Amino acid sequence: MELRSKQIILSMLFFGLAIILIFAFSSNVAKVILSNYAPGMFWLMNLFIVVLGAHRSFAYEKEFDAFSILISSPVDRGIIFIAKWISGFLFITITQLVIFIPFFKLLLLDIPLETFLFISTALLINLAIMAVANLVSGIVIRSNFSEILLPLLLFPLLSPLIIAATKISKSIINLESFAIWNVWVLIVASVVVIFGLAGYALFDHIVEE
Amino acid sequence: MELFYNNKKNLIFLIIAIILFVVNLINIIFFTPMIVDQHWAQKIFYVHVPSAWVGFVGYLIVMISGFMLFIKNDNRWDDVALASAEIGTFFMALVLVTGPVWAKPIWGTPWIWEPRLTTTLILFLYYMGYFMFRSFGGNIERVRRQAAALGIIAFINVPIIFLSVQFWEPEIQSHPQVEMASQPPEILYSFLFSLTIFSILFAVMLQYRVHLIRTKNLLKSNV
Repeated sequence: MELRSKQIILSMLFFGLAIILIFAFSSNVAKVILSNYAPGMFWLMNLFIVVLGAHRSFAYEKEFDAFSILISSPVDRGIIFIAKWISGFLFITITQLVIFIPFFKLLLLDIPLETFLFISTALLINLAIMAVANLVSGIVIRSNFSEILLPLLLFPLLSPLIIAATKISKSIINLESFAIWNVWVLIVASVVVIFGLAGYALFDHIVEE
Repeated sequence: MELFYNNKKNLIFLIIAIILFVVNLINIIFFTPMIVDQHWAQKIFYVHVPSAWVGFVGYLIVMISGFMLFIKNDNRWDDVALASAEIGTFFMALVLVTGPVWAKPIWGTPWIWEPRLTTTLILFLYYMGYFMFRSFGGNIERVRRQAAALGIIAFINVPIIFLSVQFWEPEIQSHPQVEMASQPPEILYSFLFSLTIFSILFAVMLQYRVHLIRTKNLLKSNV
């Protein structure tokens, strides 16, 4: 059902491309310097895309007043959170897969040699980011100024994940041993578990009318 | 509704807290020893660390109140959460001011991405969003529950923030830290005294703010 709404993926995709364009124009530096910043820029771009996607994901329920229908359906509300989490994860992953090559090519950078590893760790990071984003989006969406409140609450919460994501991607690009960056994978995995459980347990309370 | 300080217990509690706070300040300024390489800057720690302690306790209370709101379904827990969040954020702001004041002469720069300071900054920014959410949230009953959830997820994120900043750039974290436990008794006892006074001050402020919030809610419901 969620995937039928192509607007979300398309808006995230073109938003991502627009960010790459801005990065390319605003970082007129040597390739070696830019490649140092590339992992951070990649995840910064994803962060902006996530905000857009997470907001749009719940906005449909808000616009068409479908939220009360959604929560009155005879399913555990925790399951609704998990469904939203998975759909958000799919949105961000599809966008990321499409944007992965243009990101490196448009910034005139080399595509990471360990592409498979880069993408598989990105999947775990996306899962963690969407667990947090989905929970916060579910909380703020019915408030006034939700488009302002979402990044305001989300960015501080996501800051440890952005550090971890940047570190993991940087290590993979630099072909470092897993032993050096496994701590970051543990941090990301702990976010998946903690926020997944918190979202499942709290969603019932936060959507109550 | 009765004025807060018409209650004798509250008044006595306040007077004791003020006297102890003044005694604490006098002790810090005049009686704690000067450390050779830090001079006056070191005295900031008698305010900085207790402020951080009280700030984190404040946010812990927000989380506990959030759980209690969900369990008991009693809105009075939301009053406690809001009051605690406000006071906790006030003390966190104090940490963010006193930290750089100490760091400039000691570390040579006002800001270092030190885990405790960074965790404080992240929580401070998050709680700015929390207060905005409470203002713009809309339906008050819904906002109460959602704010409780925000308070819970803020605190469970603290260890993750702390660890990630600690592992971030190890070279940034290599600046000298003040380990209070290894300080001479005259410094340690003054520090523990200050910590106690700040905790008492927090309790007085929390009690007063909860009273104000409940009075305001009562007035609103009567209008």
